[in-house]
Amino acid sequence: MDFLDIVSSILLLAGVFFGLSGAVGLFRFPDFFTRIHAASVTDSIAAILIIGGLLLQTSFDLNTAKLVFILLFLLVTSPTASHALAKSARHGGLLTLAESSPQDKQESAK
Amino acid sequence: MHIVKWAVVLSIFWLLLSGFIEPLLLSFGVISVVIVLFILKRMDRAENEPGQIGTSIRLIRYTPWLIGQVFSSAIHVTKLIWGSPDKVSPAIAKINVKDVPASSRVLYANSITLTPGTLSVDLDENEVTVHALHRSSIEELQEGQMEKKITGIWGENK
Repeated sequence: MDFLDIVSSILLLAGVFFGLSGAVGLFRFPDFFTRIHAASVTDSIAAILIIGGLLLQTSFDLNTAKLVFILLFLLVTSPTASHALAKSARHGGLLTLAESSPQDKQESAK
Repeated sequence: MHIVKWAVVLSIFWLLLSGFIEPLLLSFGVISVVIVLFILKRMDRAENEPGQIGTSIRLIRYTPWLIGQVFSSAIHVTKLIWGSPDKVSPAIAKINVKDVPASSRVLYANSITLTPGTLSVDLDENEVTVHALHRSSIEELQEGQMEKKITGIWGENK
């Protein structure tokens, strides 16, 4: 039991670290698309680790099944939401950093 | 036939979520399952492609590998986050998905998005537009490891 608790707290702490990294990245990254990448760290690995840690805290009953469901739905819905955001930004005409920065340089060269 | 399958799946799902074995709540569960089945039946008339269940064994083979990929790329992105922001060199490219079975393309695009560092921006007939935090991730995708994994698992019966 103690061993499970230790593993679970390691998973939870790692999850918190990655969640925090995602939030920091959200502020540090330069443009919209790169910020989605930062948010997807929180979406994917932090969710997996935190729910994995919580799974070990349950006594393997109905709550375990519910947590597994939550994880499955998160793994399906969060990339879909990121994709929808990115797609609408792209179709709305937002340029990525790679596409917009060479133009800036050309303009400043003029 | 698939209505029966769905009835079983939905009942198990409802039982797992509720956990109460009381006549009143059980009857609520039965009512909600029947309503969903009724809607499913009506939707079959509108669309002739009944939703398939039974790909779960393939998903069980795929998910652990995907989670491994998520871990390695998340560590890579985390390094970029805490490192200096100048190292970020976003790139955008189109990746050919002709070889991926049509029914698995959404899964492929979603897997690309789920792994941190790559993001599928658009999905056309034959191409996925991918935005990546670093050019190397796009090269990795073009090498086609993930594509091979998906076509290996889902392409067998085509």
